[in-house]
Amino acid sequence: MNMLASYLTLAAVLFCIGLYGVITKRNAIIVLLSVELMLNAVNLNLIAFAKYGVQPSITGQIFSLFTMTVAAAEAAVGVAILVAVYRSRASVNVDEFDELRR
Amino acid sequence: MSFNIDWTGEFIAFFALAVCAIVGAVMALNFTKVVHMALSLAFTFVSLAGLYVVLDAEFVAFVQVLLYVGAVTILMIFGIMMTKHQDEGQEAARPLLETLAAIGCLCLLAILIFAIRDADFPDPAGSLPADTTREIGKLLFARMAIPFELVSVLLTVAFIGAVALAKREEEPK
Amino acid sequence: MSSLAEYAWLVPVFPAAAFAVLTAMGRGAGRGGAWIGTLASLASLVLSLMLAGQRLSGTAVEYSNHFDWIRAGGFTLSLGYEVTNLTVLMLVVVSLVSFLVNLYSHGYMKDDERISTFFAYVALFSSSMLGLVLSYNLLTMYIFWELVGVCSFLLVGFYFRKPEAKAAAKKAFIVTRIGDIGLLIAILLLFWYMPNHSLDFTEIHNVFGTQTGVISMGITTLIALLIFLGAVGKSGQFPLHVWLPDAMEGPTPISALIHAATMVAAGVFLVTRTFDIFEASQAAMTTVAVIGAFTAIFAATIGLAQNDIKRILAYSTVSQLGYMMLALGVGSETGAMFHLFTHAFFKALLFLGAGSVIHAVHTQDIREMGGLGRKMKITAGTFGIGALALSGIPPFAGFWSKDAVLAAALEANPIYFIVGVIAAFFTALYMARLFFLVFAGSPRGASHAHESPAVMTVPLLVLAVLAVIAGFVQTPFSEWFGEWLFPGAEEEHASVLVIVVSIVAGLLGIYLGWLIYAKGSVRRDVVSSRMPGLVRLLERKYYVDELYDLVFVRPLGGLGKLLNVIDDYVVDGAVRVVGQSASAIGRLNTRLQSGQLQTYALTALIGLVILALAIAGRRFW
Repeated sequence: MNMLASYLTLAAVLFCIGLYGVITKRNAIIVLLSVELMLNAVNLNLIAFAKYGVQPSITGQIFSLFTMTVAAAEAAVGVAILVAVYRSRASVNVDEFDELRR
Repeated sequence: MSFNIDWTGEFIAFFALAVCAIVGAVMALNFTKVVHMALSLAFTFVSLAGLYVVLDAEFVAFVQVLLYVGAVTILMIFGIMMTKHQDEGQEAARPLLETLAAIGCLCLLAILIFAIRDADFPDPAGSLPADTTREIGKLLFARMAIPFELVSVLLTVAFIGAVALAKREEEPK
Repeated sequence: MSSLAEYAWLVPVFPAAAFAVLTAMGRGAGRGGAWIGTLASLASLVLSLMLAGQRLSGTAVEYSNHFDWIRAGGFTLSLGYEVTNLTVLMLVVVSLVSFLVNLYSHGYMKDDERISTFFAYVALFSSSMLGLVLSYNLLTMYIFWELVGVCSFLLVGFYFRKPEAKAAAKKAFIVTRIGDIGLLIAILLLFWYMPNHSLDFTEIHNVFGTQTGVISMGITTLIALLIFLGAVGKSGQFPLHVWLPDAMEGPTPISALIHAATMVAAGVFLVTRTFDIFEASQAAMTTVAVIGAFTAIFAATIGLAQNDIKRILAYSTVSQLGYMMLALGVGSETGAMFHLFTHAFFKALLFLGAGSVIHAVHTQDIREMGGLGRKMKITAGTFGIGALALSGIPPFAGFWSKDAVLAAALEANPIYFIVGVIAAFFTALYMARLFFLVFAGSPRGASHAHESPAVMTVPLLVLAVLAVIAGFVQTPFSEWFGEWLFPGAEEEHASVLVIVVSIVAGLLGIYLGWLIYAKGSVRRDVVSSRMPGLVRLLERKYYVDELYDLVFVRPLGGLGKLLNVIDDYVVDGAVRVVGQSASAIGRLNTRLQSGQLQTYALTALIGLVILALAIAGRRFW
């Protein structure tokens, strides 16, 4: 069996676990971390293709570096928003954030 | 799943690290305390860094440890400390949401695995350069200079924004 | 000198311009505005008289002019005007009566604050009637025909604060509408069947008069009857006569205008204009004659039992229009137009006289009048002349024209003649009753009556003179009028029998009226005491209104209510169900719009899975 398929399968599993966490977890921080997990699953795919793809290339790794940078920015902004919201609402539970409804 | 696997070193390493990653992720969903969850995910990130090493991406693995384990997770833990938390499961569960989410995720997983197994991956026509870190450096500062700079600008903006958002003290009301 | 006929189109334009000016000025025009209308009608009159003078000199040729209104493919709809002896005669009659009515209204409507509105309507009315008369094809005529209908609606409902006037205006409009639809269908049929889709009167004359067989017999009869339906509506013939007496709710000068010259004459004029179609169909001719004769006697008998001075005159108008239709039905165009011509003068005279009386005593009930002859000498004298003319006593105008009609009727069918004579007898009787009750005897009720001002009596005098002399244009001894109007048409020669019988009938009616209502030697209740049912029947106008109410109005009202219920519960119900289901779906959807990000994410996930399954599933079909 091809190693690539194993990596892809692992990435899919991680992605789905992250997705499940995003949908079901109440705590906003865990939701953010689950998003990071999903991004990592994607990174794993990129790096796996960089080695086992039809045209092995370093570009996949560079792309994953960019992804990581964006993810870091996202995490920083996310936590900042979380802290700001916490100040006004005294809660970090996602199910209490229903501003979109109004 | 077929088990006609040749037990190479790479595969053993992959297998161990994959188990670690999945266990970390699953545990993260099962813990009740938020800090435990965060740490458990950090464990997953470390495992992924190991996998990157296996995949000849030493530099990315290094960045992974530095960024995710060192920065993001710590940032999250700081976030946890700055806010007050109830443990998961203390409030009323949302069985419908959880059931549907589980079904949806399993279906998606099934589709993905089916697609992966169904796809035909030809053997790679070549191999990565021996010293990937050097190559990444060359590429980043030559061909990829403009995206690199753009990303750095993005990062700066994001951090300034984060500071501006989080810094605001209670204004007298 | 270019022919004056080229400027004939100005005749209706004068009053139309007056209407536009008066409407633009609004209520501020006041009494000055009234003179604008009068001057415009005077201008029309002068131009009409000049046209008539040119035609009487015998040098003028028939002139017509038109322009294309709508040109689509092979069709052209054109509008235009035509000057012939017939149209010029009608022009003179209409503009003369309209001018006199205008003059008279200065006195009659003096105290009305909407006097300028009134004159604006009168101007529009005259303008549309003059336009109708001048029309060169049926389409132009139809446009003016409808305008006349609108004006009658406006004028009958002039006192719109009075509920009866409002009801009468609506009735006039709706009842004539039935006829108008007939006319419209007739025009459409003509358009369909005529060669080249021509609606010109000349072309109609050519097709139906000379080249018979172009249009089949059945269609000809149908068209003729539909045109006649339009005439029946406008001219107040049975069974669409009901609006005409009710139209008395309008101001009296308007009654004179409607009854003498404009609206009701339009029906007769229409039939005369399209007479070739009628002549081509014997069935249509018989229908016209029968309806005319029946209306003549039917309305005359109702006139016997009415007590409202204007209603009596209204029924006499209906009856006289019956005469005209009878004349047309037996093929005497000359008789019809002659009677229309003389009737216009003496009926305008009678209405204006009645208006003068009403102006003096402020009531319309003849039982409350009496002895007015001494106080209102001019009115009484001129009214008497009008009554004698209507009763058909020589040498007044009505005698000659009625004689012409009766002579034609005798030649066609003695039954028509007998009916006509009986109607003439009744006419004389109710006119005698009216005259003696109003002007003779001792005053009952109003005693402060006085003669009307000169502006009202002068038109009366003018019309009285015309009522005396107008008949001499066509006597059994000189048939100049018929020759001039319809050259070449064969005319029945009056016989001594007709003259004697009609004089006897008229005198007998007057004598009987004198016996009953002036001398008192025959008791008034001689009929009502023996046959109360008959009198009631006449007083209630043969229950025609009640019958219509029962047969048409109530079922239609019920149908309307039923439709209303259906509308309320079925149509509106369906709309409401749609609306409520939409809002119910909306309410359901607001529950999806919980604002919960995770729910949204879940929905997106499920959607993605379904999409992927659907796409993947296609591979296994």
